[in-house]
Amino acid sequence: MGGLNALAWRGLRARPMRTGLTVAGVTLGVAVLFAGLATNAGIETAVDSAVATMVGRAELRVAAFGEDGLSQDTLATIAGTPGVAVVAPAFERRTYLGAEAFGPGDPLPPPVTIAGIDPAAEATLHDLTLRAGAALSGDGPNDALVNATLAREDALAVGDIIDLETIDAPVHLRIVGILAGDGPWAGGGGRALVVPLETAQAAFAADGLTRVDIGTASPAAVTDALESTLLDEPYVLSSPQDIGASMRASTGDFASTTALIGAIALFAGAFLIFNTLSMTVVERVRELGLLRAAGASRGQLTSYILVQATAIGIVGSLLGVVLGAALAAGIAAWVRTVGAVALGAPVVTVNDALAALAIGIVVTLAAAIEPARRAGRISPVEALKARLDLPTARRARLRWLIAVFALVGVAGMLILPRGADETAVVRAFLVYAVLLVAALVVPFILPATARIAGLPFSLLVRFEERLARASLLRDRSRAALTVGALTIGLAMIVALGGVGQHARNAASAWIADVVPGELVLTSIFPRGLDELEDVLVTPGVASVSPIGSFALAIDGVRTDAVAMVGGDIRNDGRLRFVLGGRELALAAIDAGGAMIVPSGVAARDGLELGKTVEATAADGSVLKLRVAGITERTLPGPAGEAVIVGWSDAEKLGVAGADAFAVRFVPSATAADRAELASVARSVALEPTALGRIEGAIGQALDRVFGLFDVLALVAVVVAALGIVNTLTMNVFERVREIGVLRAAGMTRRQVWRSVVVEAGITGLVGAICGVVAGLAVGALMVVLAGGRLEIATAVPWPAVVAALVLGVVLAMLAAAYPARLASGVSIVRAVGYE
Amino acid sequence: MTAQLDTSRADGAPQIVPRPAAVATGPILEGRTLTKSYPLGETTVDALRGVSLSVAAGEFVALMGPSGSGKSTLLQLLGGLDQPTSGEVILEGEVISQLSDDRATRLRRDRTGFVFQSFNLIPLLDVSENVALPFTIAGQDTSRGEIAERIRDVIELVDLTGKEHHKPDQLSAGEQQRVAVARALVTRPALLFADEPTGNLDYTTGTEILDALWRSCEERHQTIVLVTHDSKAAAYADRVLVVRDGTILDTIELGRRRDHDAATLIGRLAQLGL
Ligand SMILES: Nc1ncnc2c1ncn2[C@@H]1O[C@H](COP(=O)(O)OP(=O)(O)OP(=O)(O)O)[C@@H](O)[C@H]1O
Ligand SMILES: [Mg+2]
Repeated sequence: MGGLNALAWRGLRARPMRTGLTVAGVTLGVAVLFAGLATNAGIETAVDSAVATMVGRAELRVAAFGEDGLSQDTLATIAGTPGVAVVAPAFERRTYLGAEAFGPGDPLPPPVTIAGIDPAAEATLHDLTLRAGAALSGDGPNDALVNATLAREDALAVGDIIDLETIDAPVHLRIVGILAGDGPWAGGGGRALVVPLETAQAAFAADGLTRVDIGTASPAAVTDALESTLLDEPYVLSSPQDIGASMRASTGDFASTTALIGAIALFAGAFLIFNTLSMTVVERVRELGLLRAAGASRGQLTSYILVQATAIGIVGSLLGVVLGAALAAGIAAWVRTVGAVALGAPVVTVNDALAALAIGIVVTLAAAIEPARRAGRISPVEALKARLDLPTARRARLRWLIAVFALVGVAGMLILPRGADETAVVRAFLVYAVLLVAALVVPFILPATARIAGLPFSLLVRFEERLARASLLRDRSRAALTVGALTIGLAMIVALGGVGQHARNAASAWIADVVPGELVLTSIFPRGLDELEDVLVTPGVASVSPIGSFALAIDGVRTDAVAMVGGDIRNDGRLRFVLGGRELALAAIDAGGAMIVPSGVAARDGLELGKTVEATAADGSVLKLRVAGITERTLPGPAGEAVIVGWSDAEKLGVAGADAFAVRFVPSATAADRAELASVARSVALEPTALGRIEGAIGQALDRVFGLFDVLALVAVVVAALGIVNTLTMNVFERVREIGVLRAAGMTRRQVWRSVVVEAGITGLVGAICGVVAGLAVGALMVVLAGGRLEIATAVPWPAVVAALVLGVVLAMLAAAYPARLASGVSIVRAVGYE
Repeated sequence: MTAQLDTSRADGAPQIVPRPAAVATGPILEGRTLTKSYPLGETTVDALRGVSLSVAAGEFVALMGPSGSGKSTLLQLLGGLDQPTSGEVILEGEVISQLSDDRATRLRRDRTGFVFQSFNLIPLLDVSENVALPFTIAGQDTSRGEIAERIRDVIELVDLTGKEHHKPDQLSAGEQQRVAVARALVTRPALLFADEPTGNLDYTTGTEILDALWRSCEERHQTIVLVTHDSKAAAYADRVLVVRDGTILDTIELGRRRDHDAATLIGRLAQLGL
């Protein structure tokens, strides 16, 4: 036994190239997997710390719903609820600092969040750690703290005086302290100014509260009590877990996609391992047969292969974890933010490292089981035969493929990130199933596809193409496995290309579809249309349509909502209605008592056409809203797509004004008119943004994420390319004699070299063709499962298709470099004197 | 040392002399003081120690000798498969022993043919495709015209008409070797080299191959160099060169005969102690 194990080691060392490639395959697969784990752990940590800074030691948060905020009565009710130990009220608004320093027409500076707090109460629930200066005291109404980002960006120091633009005269604030970090205001640009509650409220002439944080020992009891006592105003009661869950939801798709790609890279790695060990078995049939004749048991031969696999698995997985940690750091630097979460450094935990190691080794061993058993089944007599029975070998391989598929699937389930929901699981499994079917179909369509793939090559080098194709098809199951791995990798690239294209199209189609204008003026605080007289009289402007976004409690469920003027949309055919008459629905929201619902929300909340729901208005009264129409899409809100209501209802719901205005120009408007409008808008603190810019920004963020996915999928393709090196090298070894005969018959070295490169090219092209077909199917599937429209789902992502074809062929031909050199270097004398 | 040494050409420059059609005059192949050493660890193995020989056009020469005497090595040098450590090989007036790989390859394709002991065929190709291989490699159309005619002709010569579309694994070992002979002959090479073509075959099957070789020599004036252990095979030749320890020990002139009787040869070999 010991002797055989030593032989196994020697076997690995005897073929350093093949062993190295296989280890590299495992390494890359495990690296992508572990990078995914570390990145997702990083996201988790980022979410946890964001939640921790946001809520501090508070057990519950009551957040205001309407623009007016929570009243002092509500605060008193909360404070008086049994079990409540501390209440920390806060008031937040966004504004511009020192806007008078900017000329009219200059771009506006980034806005600032003004946070009004009760210094004493706040300190009991939130740590506002200072980097410099002192904390707010109760008796300095004009004292202020600035957070780290604001201090850095505006070069502010303790003792500086800043002017705060308010409804009336500017307020002069003196900076007494600088926060060590950004505090709970990391989102929205991160610039925050903290002042006493009364100062903030006075500055905006408001008396409402944005939120009240509650410190309590019995959150459950307090929750129940508040639900029965807070009846006057709309509010949202949430726990730190709720807030974490909503942040995590925005990262779930990213996390499950990285995990999926990691699993697929490992799957491609499994192909490589399986193929390599199978080759070892075939190559050593005689040797293994001799060992059997000399008295080695089946078990010993099986363990001979398994020992090799274990060594490959351990070394490859260890290297993979190290490489994966580096890859994760790269991912964090590249993607920066996922959903609502800023990505910090990746988190490498011992558990994840062990999990990745274990998965790497288990997948390697799983891939080795079939070849190992085949080694055990070799009889002493078979040692005299040159090759194994191909049909039985192929049957065994298909069974093997299913087994590994199941295994990797289960492994995928185990590492599935916490944020992912069931649809992500279903999606991952369906994607997997399609890829598996693609890999299983490859052996049957291989000859026909190879003929097609050979055509372009045969135009140039007919004889070499013929030889190459024959060599490729000689061991069909080996070729199928090689092509299968490539198919899977390239399919992922095409699929992600499809999903990315869909996401971009959806984002731009969406915005252009629902915004009634060419330009959007955004405001950081609500405005009435009456404040926009200057804009309305600017030459070239045809119309200005106000859009207000807010949140609505429909039957107690928080739903994003926008207020729009139905009549403005009616004229230009925007909004695609799925159900309900367009004219009637738009007229209905203007008349009041009606809303238009996006199909996603309608499906989620069971809002059928004609159904009437109840929403709580600002004054506590109940507002009835009838579903007047269902559209494909509406505007995006902070948490999802928004329902559309008319302005009359919006005012009843406490919406103080619009935060965006869609501007439409007359056809004759000149560039000067547009420039003039931009300047006028800025003079009244409105930021003009062209629709193209919004689409561009969305596109950029998508490009970053999909670029990352592409890089990860590329790793799977590289693993497959390593498989090509292995397979071609094996083919050359097996054909040494034949190459010798061909050379003796007058074939030049260059022709031999070309035939191997062409063999690789055909392999690559077959893989690419299958990959493109499978990838289009997977992409369409992913889009449809994510609720996309079929005609968008079936749109071909041409750049990704072309990339996959080029990548498949080029990588495969590069992979041929070594085997082709080996083949062209075959010495005729040695080849014909072989054995 | 009774091998003929031709010293009529002094310059030895590579030069292609057109081959006079089917007229057996002058040497077509010459080896001049050929040596070949293989490095073996610290030492070297001297497989050939200064062999000179010459083969006339249309001649059938056999190389005989004990195992390890250097027959295969000599054949490989003469056929341009390998390069000598020193000395020259001159084929049809051209020095081929120092050619670049590409030129040596072209020479093999166009001017010489090889038959090895086994594994001569490409398993994927059928009989006529294997025979057509040298033309296919050269990128020529093998389906019509003179080339197609030649392919048919050599297949007929080796008696395989009707089996053109059989794959090698559907043929007997003897038939496979005859396909190899046909392929070696199809380009009408100046020289056909065969290294123990009957080594793997039984007596009757071996005879089929030798008969085919002899027919090509007799009917088509094909020049042949045959390496063999077997005196019955060597008895087909016009002349037998006896190789031993990397040198040519003796030359046995048999002359062109129809009966291929091995008795004389066996007697002469016995005198040499073989
Ligand atoms: N590649 C090589 N490396 C080292 N030594 C070699 C090599 N090829 C041949 N030799 C040696 O050169 C000598 C001649 O070998 P060669 O193959 O020419 O003999 P042979 O007469 O053809 O023998 P056989 O009848 O067994 O085929 C032998 O001693 C052999 O061991
Ligand atoms: Mg020999």
